[in-house]
Amino acid sequence: MTRQDEQMRGSIGHGRQRPLLHRRVLAAGAALLIAAFVTDCTYYTTALWQWANFSAWLITAGLIVTAVAAVLLLIDSATGRTSRLNTISFNLVAAAALLSLVNAFVHSRDAWASVVPQGILLSALSAILLLIAGARGWSLAMSRATGDDK
Amino acid sequence: MKATSARPIAALLSVVALAACSSKGGDPNRQYGPDPYLPPPRAYLMPPMSVPKAVGWKAGETPTAAAGLKVEALATGLEHPRTLYTLPNGDILVVETNGPGTEPFRPKDFIAGKVKARAGAGAKGGNRITLLRGVDGDGKPALRTVFIDHLYSPYGIVLVGDTLYVADTDAILAFNYDPGATRITSPGVKLADLPAGRLDHHWTKSMTASADGSKLYVGVGSNSNITENGMDVEDGRAAIYEIDRLTGAKRIFASGTRNPTGVAFEPQTHQLFAVVNERDEIGPDLVPDYLTSIRPGGFYGWPYSYWGSHVDVRVHPQRPDLVAQAIKPDYGLSSHVAPLSLLFSEGEHLSPDFAKGAFISEHGSWDRSPLNGYQVIFVSFTDGRPVGKPVPVVTGFLGEDNETVHGRPVGLALDRSGALLVADDVGNTVWRVSATQPGS
Repeated sequence: MTRQDEQMRGSIGHGRQRPLLHRRVLAAGAALLIAAFVTDCTYYTTALWQWANFSAWLITAGLIVTAVAAVLLLIDSATGRTSRLNTISFNLVAAAALLSLVNAFVHSRDAWASVVPQGILLSALSAILLLIAGARGWSLAMSRATGDDK
Repeated sequence: MKATSARPIAALLSVVALAACSSKGGDPNRQYGPDPYLPPPRAYLMPPMSVPKAVGWKAGETPTAAAGLKVEALATGLEHPRTLYTLPNGDILVVETNGPGTEPFRPKDFIAGKVKARAGAGAKGGNRITLLRGVDGDGKPALRTVFIDHLYSPYGIVLVGDTLYVADTDAILAFNYDPGATRITSPGVKLADLPAGRLDHHWTKSMTASADGSKLYVGVGSNSNITENGMDVEDGRAAIYEIDRLTGAKRIFASGTRNPTGVAFEPQTHQLFAVVNERDEIGPDLVPDYLTSIRPGGFYGWPYSYWGSHVDVRVHPQRPDLVAQAIKPDYGLSSHVAPLSLLFSEGEHLSPDFAKGAFISEHGSWDRSPLNGYQVIFVSFTDGRPVGKPVPVVTGFLGEDNETVHGRPVGLALDRSGALLVADDVGNTVWRVSATQPGS
């Protein structure tokens, strides 16, 4: 059987029933981290503490959900759902997660210094990276069944 | 792609570089007195912490007193004793209390809660006042009873005439006092409300009365470290109140005092003094806690500035108009020592060295390495002003390894014989410090 045949078979049958587990969870975690940039912006313009508080919780929750997505990516790989890493998307998300981890600590500072200037800068950078990863479809690895990143 | 990935890396490195700088505190000696050394403020990813583990005292262990003094336990097994007060008949009141407890607001509050528990600060308070009677001389108290129960995070206590005033965290209560009584069961009558509310971050309400008994003075702490819980919850906080004893009318006597945990009148000049806990998380040597005279209408900087006009950039928007008015405190006690009680000496009973000046209990740091405080000090006064360097009076609260803590000193009082009493809210003990040879 040629490789093409194999892919064809996968796309028709088996692969379609075994979608990548990490995608939707990653999208949810990323949404929280991107939202933290929005609440940081609102804090920057209003100086109302509750917005900085929202940011701190959004980043913490975003990191937890993204960590769950990372575990699911490992499961995707272990259960043979993936063929190879989607290197660009993976690096984008990994960089955003790392920046957000630092940002969680920056946001643990008190009052204005929790957001301005480093906090909002880190939120902005991680939001940009995640939006690019989102535009690329949220898949951090190619599906083995179809060979695409859906 | 290259450009966007290089920028976060640069930002990341700059933040990590900040965290990697040395964060050890310097010699506290540089920060005693009127002109403490003030390093530039810093920002941290993780503020330096050094949290000693609370282990309590084994049988026979005591703190260490200065030469010529001895220490013995007066009462043990108390529920988080904080404030001590000696009544004219020689009875001693022990306020057993802790904060009302608040829900976590931010992710970091969960970690802060764990830190407090390790250091022994999370224990539940008794919310009551215990009376010790027959404590003169070297003996143990002949009588120990619950004097007033069912209080709400009480702290300050003062007797004026035959009325005993207790400062709960949310109100001053007045109780009729009878010197023979061993228990007060009638509920207190509210004299005045005090700022408390759902958050009540710095909950202690220290209290004293003017010499003529007409006014009460109450220290009210801020509702945050540095306004991170919003400005609206700081309304009427970080201030010292003057309350008319007869009408309950109150006014802010001085402001900008972040957490004025001890207030007392200097006996010679009748000038009001306070010990104030300053802000955290801008460095192990910032900001020195202080002892200062309190001027009517004075503003002492918090939150906008510290030690006079040193601006704190964490506060937004800033108030340059208030920073310009900020009063420099009289006397630095060095950073993060957490002074919790201020007691003026009443003569040579303890030692000629401690005849004129103030005893200050230092509850001790956990946001500084090496640790600082954990002792009772004496600051000499000349002509009603603090002078010289502090002298340690009671030490040994920290284990020799500097990793464990046996006790933390809080409330101070002099008993009728002139011995110094020290409440210890980790050891749950009241210590009595007296001269080895009476009358010497």
